[in-house]
Amino acid sequence: MSTTTGKAAQPAKVQAAPGATASPAAGPKGPRRRGKPSMGVQNVAGWLFSTPFLVLFLVFMAVPIIATLVMSFTDFGLRNVTHPMDANFIGLDNYTQLFSDDKFLKSLFNTAYFVVVGVPLTILIGLVVAVLLNNGIDRARTFFRVGFYAPVVTTIVAVAVVWRFVLDPSDGLVAGLFSEVGLTAPDFLGSETLAMPSMIAMAVWRNVGTVMVLFIAGLQAIPTEVREAARLDGANVWQEFKGITVPLLRPTLLYATVITTIGYLNVFEEPFVMTQGGPSDSTLTVSLNMYREGFNFFHMGYASAMAYVLFVVIMGITVLQLRLLKDNTK
Amino acid sequence: MSRIARTASTGIGIAVVLSLGLTACGSSGGASVAADKKQTLTVWAMGAEGEKLADVAKVYEKAHPNITVKVTPVGWDVAHQKLVSAAAAGTMPDVAQMGGSYMGEFSELGVLEPVDTKTFHEKDFFPAGWKQGEVDGQAYGVPWYVDTRVLYYRTDLAKKAGITKAPADWKELRDLATAYQKKAGTKWGLSIQPSGLDTVQSFYSFLYSAGGEIVDDKGETVIDSPAAVKALKEYASYFDKGLSDKSLPPGYDVVKDFGNGRVPMFFGGPWHVTLLDEGQPQLKGKWAVAGVPAGKSSVSMAGGSSLVISKDSEHKAAATQFIKYLTDTKGQADWYKRTKDLPANTAAWTSGDLADDAGLQVFKKQMDTAKSSPSLPNWTEVTDKVDQAVAKVTQGKASAEDALKTAQSQIEGLVK
Repeated sequence: MSTTTGKAAQPAKVQAAPGATASPAAGPKGPRRRGKPSMGVQNVAGWLFSTPFLVLFLVFMAVPIIATLVMSFTDFGLRNVTHPMDANFIGLDNYTQLFSDDKFLKSLFNTAYFVVVGVPLTILIGLVVAVLLNNGIDRARTFFRVGFYAPVVTTIVAVAVVWRFVLDPSDGLVAGLFSEVGLTAPDFLGSETLAMPSMIAMAVWRNVGTVMVLFIAGLQAIPTEVREAARLDGANVWQEFKGITVPLLRPTLLYATVITTIGYLNVFEEPFVMTQGGPSDSTLTVSLNMYREGFNFFHMGYASAMAYVLFVVIMGITVLQLRLLKDNTK
Repeated sequence: MSRIARTASTGIGIAVVLSLGLTACGSSGGASVAADKKQTLTVWAMGAEGEKLADVAKVYEKAHPNITVKVTPVGWDVAHQKLVSAAAAGTMPDVAQMGGSYMGEFSELGVLEPVDTKTFHEKDFFPAGWKQGEVDGQAYGVPWYVDTRVLYYRTDLAKKAGITKAPADWKELRDLATAYQKKAGTKWGLSIQPSGLDTVQSFYSFLYSAGGEIVDDKGETVIDSPAAVKALKEYASYFDKGLSDKSLPPGYDVVKDFGNGRVPMFFGGPWHVTLLDEGQPQLKGKWAVAGVPAGKSSVSMAGGSSLVISKDSEHKAAATQFIKYLTDTKGQADWYKRTKDLPANTAAWTSGDLADDAGLQVFKKQMDTAKSSPSLPNWTEVTDKVDQAVAKVTQGKASAEDALKTAQSQIEGLVK
């Protein structure tokens, strides 16, 4: 990745003291033009400028993350809300209990199902829509881009209302289509086998817009000369897509896949507003399970352990994706 | 993405509860201020009550110039979390409204002041109302208003179906549901909840009427009793026969479907009277309320809200007086006029509006036998197991016997 060691040293500095990057004077090997005292002043200024961020980060990110970790080793329950010091350290008990908890395993399975089916669909449809819109007729382009992006910026509750109408087994949109051809529509959200696919369809519809925007930006970054050269060489549309679009879009593809996967592993709103995890826990995801254990039953210790298992899973999958997808670029 | 933000905010929530809890350790009970001194009372009330209570507080302030009552309305959906955070932080209001299911939890947290039984007498209130403010025989909440579920049914459609009297028992209820669907052309026969959170609230009418319970007076789990099995079988038969909708979305509101005739019957609380009068005025005179159809007898669930005083409050004397004002006969009748909430004080029923309102007498009669849930700290979790059992049966995944046997062993583990 890095070609010159001298340049690589600077970005590393940025992280150490964000405010002090303006001048190389602060660098360890930099020429000391102003001597030691001024370096101190610069450091102070640097820390001062980063204080707001650091305070917010500590209070709202670091403290909760550590508190959750600590809590996951305790039996923190309702009582401990007023008597937190009475919570007992129980070591890894929460974690071992998790893996014999059918409900948790089911929620893990449901989440995996959601990701395995949902992510490829979202990426694929997002890519196809982006390519079509990028090459489409100029005038209609904006209209369609907005159309596909609208679900992204719509609140989930409004989305839920629309989808309930679409999926309503007695007089919904899909039921209407079924009856047109003389069939009875299944009860999508009330059936254990269909509830999850329905949920995935809704999530894909809702998230394609985000992915599409990323891909459009990626597509427009591809130089026209490359395409023109390919066309001169007689490449057809498919060859152009396979040989130019996909390879040059790889970084975007990687990014889109990673954020979609992380988002879907955390899926919460869709089952929360549409089914509350039902019927019979068939749409209970890890996040929803965690929310219920924590805030309905106040099993804070147990919910925290769940949060950390989810965190490890997300971390593992993300690292894996970065490895797998990145290796192919060169 | 918003999901990341949400995960983060959940973490923050947990941490805030934790860190607030840590700081709360040092807080003390504080000195108490006499009732006739100048002071400000802080009061939290939920939903519609929170808004209406501010008006009552103004009246109260006029009669008691030394007291300023500061009412904060809290939404029902956030009430539980707000109260828990306040308990953790030691910032509970002087007086708070509390739903029956919260009592066990908050007494366990040790933030509630026991009720002054010299001022408030058990015999003045509905037994079920008083009982829901009690934990382990000790009263922590003064009943403010009560509610119970009764059967709402469309009389116009019943006539069309050839039935003119309210169903008195399970058989008549099923016959009426069938007749509605077959002869009056309604989409469903009866609206009851098939699955999801709080399904048990729909199921109570059947469970209690069959003579069943979840946990009995001795604290024994009895959800797999023959009576409970019978009740669940009856409940599930509505779904098997297509008389009730197998999939209701979360937050489903029955009032609209009752208005357009898709659903001709449901079990509702007193607030549905107002909702129907205001939301479906075209229905006036086309519906009626009746007691819960009897299995062995007609027993409905009792709900409602109590008023509690915070243990840390410095204004306990004034708070007691304010609660006395809200729960005595006059205060209760006034409250009913403002909110249509049913008075918890029995004497208030025999005077004024309530004495001669036929619809309300149905509630009164139901209230006399209504059963309240035991005040256990983990009651939400206990009922969740019953919800799951009911869901399994209505979705055809298990027999009533098996589902309740599972629930029995799960709940035994929670109660002991």
